[in-house]
Amino acid sequence: MAKSHWIERRLQPTDSLLATATVTLAAIVLALLLGGLLMLPFTPHPGQAYWAIVENAFGSLRGLGFTLVKATPLILIALGTIVAWRTSFFYLGFEGTLLLGAAATVWVALRAAPQEGLAGLPGWIFFPLVIGAAFAAGGLWAGAVGFLRSRFGGNEVLVSLMTNYVAILLVNYLVSGPLRAPGDLPQTERIPETTLLPFFIPDTRAHAGFLLALLAALLVWLFLRRTPLGYELIATGFSERAARYGGIPTSQRLVLAAFLAGGLGALAGLVEVLGVQFRLMDGIAQGTGFVGVVVALLGKLNPLGSVVAAILYAGMGVGSEVLQRRAGLPSSVIFIVQSLIVLLILAGDLLRYYRFTWPFRTGRLTATARPRE
Amino acid sequence: MAPLLELRNITKQFPGVLADDRVSLTVEAGQIHALLGENGAGKSTLMHILYGLYRADAGEILLEGQPLQLHSPADAIAHGIGMIHQDFMLIPRFSVVENVVIGLQEGGPQLDLRSAAVRLSDLARQYGLAVDPEARVEHLSVGVQQRVEILKLLYRHARLLILDEPTGVLTPQETEGLFAVLRRLAAQGHAVLLITHKLHEVIDVADQVTVLRDGRVIGSLPARQSSARQLARMMVGREVTLRVDKPAQQTGPPLLQITDLRVRGDNGQPKVRGVTLTVHGGEILGLAGVDGNGQSELAEALMGLRPVEAGQVTLAKKDLTRHSPAARRASHLGYIPADRRQVGSIGPLSIAYNAVLGTLRRYTTWGGLFLNQGQIDRHARHLVNEFDVRTPSIHFEAGKLSGGNLQKVVLGRELLARPTALVVEQPTRGLDVGATEYVHRQLLAERSRGAALLLISAELEEILALSDRIAVLYQGEIMGVLTAGTQDPNSQIELLGLMMAGSPLASLSNLHTPGRSDGPHG
Ligand SMILES: Nc1ncnc2c1ncn2[C@@H]1O[C@H](COP(=O)(O)OP(=O)(O)O)[C@@H](O)[C@H]1O
Ligand SMILES: [Mg+2]
Repeated sequence: MAKSHWIERRLQPTDSLLATATVTLAAIVLALLLGGLLMLPFTPHPGQAYWAIVENAFGSLRGLGFTLVKATPLILIALGTIVAWRTSFFYLGFEGTLLLGAAATVWVALRAAPQEGLAGLPGWIFFPLVIGAAFAAGGLWAGAVGFLRSRFGGNEVLVSLMTNYVAILLVNYLVSGPLRAPGDLPQTERIPETTLLPFFIPDTRAHAGFLLALLAALLVWLFLRRTPLGYELIATGFSERAARYGGIPTSQRLVLAAFLAGGLGALAGLVEVLGVQFRLMDGIAQGTGFVGVVVALLGKLNPLGSVVAAILYAGMGVGSEVLQRRAGLPSSVIFIVQSLIVLLILAGDLLRYYRFTWPFRTGRLTATARPRE
Repeated sequence: MAPLLELRNITKQFPGVLADDRVSLTVEAGQIHALLGENGAGKSTLMHILYGLYRADAGEILLEGQPLQLHSPADAIAHGIGMIHQDFMLIPRFSVVENVVIGLQEGGPQLDLRSAAVRLSDLARQYGLAVDPEARVEHLSVGVQQRVEILKLLYRHARLLILDEPTGVLTPQETEGLFAVLRRLAAQGHAVLLITHKLHEVIDVADQVTVLRDGRVIGSLPARQSSARQLARMMVGREVTLRVDKPAQQTGPPLLQITDLRVRGDNGQPKVRGVTLTVHGGEILGLAGVDGNGQSELAEALMGLRPVEAGQVTLAKKDLTRHSPAARRASHLGYIPADRRQVGSIGPLSIAYNAVLGTLRRYTTWGGLFLNQGQIDRHARHLVNEFDVRTPSIHFEAGKLSGGNLQKVVLGRELLARPTALVVEQPTRGLDVGATEYVHRQLLAERSRGAALLLISAELEEILALSDRIAVLYQGEIMGVLTAGTQDPNSQIELLGLMMAGSPLASLSNLHTPGRSDGPHG
């Protein structure tokens, strides 16, 4: 036979729940199996190693606290990704917005130190203020890219990637110049105690930033599902031509989406500063801005799905760090497994475009029609 | 002697659809065989099987009595079966002869273009397909490009030519020219399989017609013994009214006025070059013309989706030229775009959300902060009932509706907004007879209501059936405006055809000079 006829391309990908679930599950199992092979030189029992990861990440309050702390910025970046990407604005500058948000947060928080302008401000004024400032900083940062795209066209992917480098250098400049604290290290002063986010699970590191992220997820979900503006963003994302036809000012909506995405991405910087780092320094983003995008994709660009994906993803990271410390299993193995899961789930998506039939179903044809030589 | 081609019990199952169900068909050499059927009847699937693109689940193909297995189009052409798709597959920057020999392996790697051109000229002479082998394809009109496609197949020794809906892009004169070529091909022993859903074409040109409905052969009969009415009944499965009743009606005041409008296309070239038209209330102004002569650009400019370079658009005396699409909608200008899937609707969204595209802000609560889901659903349900949209639910994805049902959603949405003027572009393209009938009736109802309708269509029949006046657009300019029904139908069609090919009405004052059979293009 000249060609194999048991794979046929579909006109439309199937979107049945069963197909999606099957593909996702198969991707995870396959990634775990491949990761298991990589573990064999370190431990004869990959299964136990996996189990240890789950236990470390979710089995104790302490572990769970760590996991939630790690998940928090991922959720916020994922939410930013959802708003931007569902509007078909493929923004990848979340490292930058995280840093901008962190810088703005530190600047405002330092103003709240004794002797400074905002000293003695009550929390119910200070926190909304700092959140607003960080949101605005990131929003304007990303919104500018949106404006360029809507005004002049071009490719927001490249532009937004480049803005990451600008933001990194900007933070570098701030911590070695204007905001540098006395001392050897290029970093700012520690922010005052009154500005820190409270812990919300006793005896853990889990800070209120996680609650902020959950609230944000709920608001983003409401916004996209229940408001006319959200509808207009989604309509713009699905088909700009149809949206324009429907009277939606798509350029403005694109800039709005970019602003909101940047603002949400900046909140990731805020929670890192107020909940974990307590100061600004180099290297506080470290790829979070990209992992958050991946988390959003794993969550199918759905706010609530992304919360779940972020927690699982963070859990794998936390669990594997503990494993590395205790059993000497390199955490790079787990990172490979994480990456494989992502890769396989995304690649598995392509399978939905094909239909598989078994050869015997076309058997009748070969029986009746003989090839002409 | 065995017939040239015989299909026996060809069956093809797609998931959920039996596209072809034991279809049998016989084509004799020297015959023009029409395959008639509504959209989705299974015509294209059958031809794709015959062309080696799909494989049948069951059944056999016999060529001169010999069973045949086809794995690819290359296989098919090697057996003398050639197909011309609706969109031509020519390379615009290449010459005719280059296009014809491209993909051929004969004569080694060195192409002998000169001898190919000689052979091509011989073939062209033999079949009366006047084409200059050295001309660049991009400079040729659509009708001539089609001849190149035919020559390409003849050059490859095709004995059976399959043409999928070949007349959609032609002027009436070009269509006549094509039919003459097909008759000559048949006379010289070739077989032609003509896929179409236009009844009069079948009666005009075919020897034999096979009617397909829901994947099954309803009947096969000599075309001369059939009537349009009978064929329509076979095709649709019930009686259909082929003529729409257009009640005589007093036209109202001028509502939509377009003055010296100039618009550029996507590449910056002028596409609408000084169009002036007036549409009155209670009137349908038909805008005829071959596709691509600036119709879409004109419609988009009217809706504010494309910048106006110069000129003016007013609706009920209000100047809309610089207004946003939203403002135009608010002034009760409606638009049914040609592309109902990419422009007229948002496929992944539900019918309900599509029903409020353009009027969304009316369906909100809390001072416009939140969507009023209940109100949206009620509106959508009203639309679905009123316009007879066949769907399992209003929450069904609009993109999964059939073309006819999706068009009902778009149409219903625009009509429920009670437009003062409505721009309608290719409203029945790709729709079956039933849906077409429905859309036509709705447009006439709008006319009775007093709306001003600008009907842009490449289907001359549709224009003739619905319009009160007919304008012809050619290369962005109006060739003239006729009042429908003032001449006898045949001379009116001839006149429109000449205008569609670029002759201004003013130059055609002597109506009955035999028109040049093939107007110059481009
Ligand atoms: N590749 C495909 N996959 C699934 N269904 C298909 C495919 N091609 C055609 N169909 C379905 O088969 C039926 C016949 O389609 P087609 O042969 O294109 O009809 P026609 O050409 O007569 O309009 C339709 O219901 C169509 O939706
Ligand atoms: Mg077809």
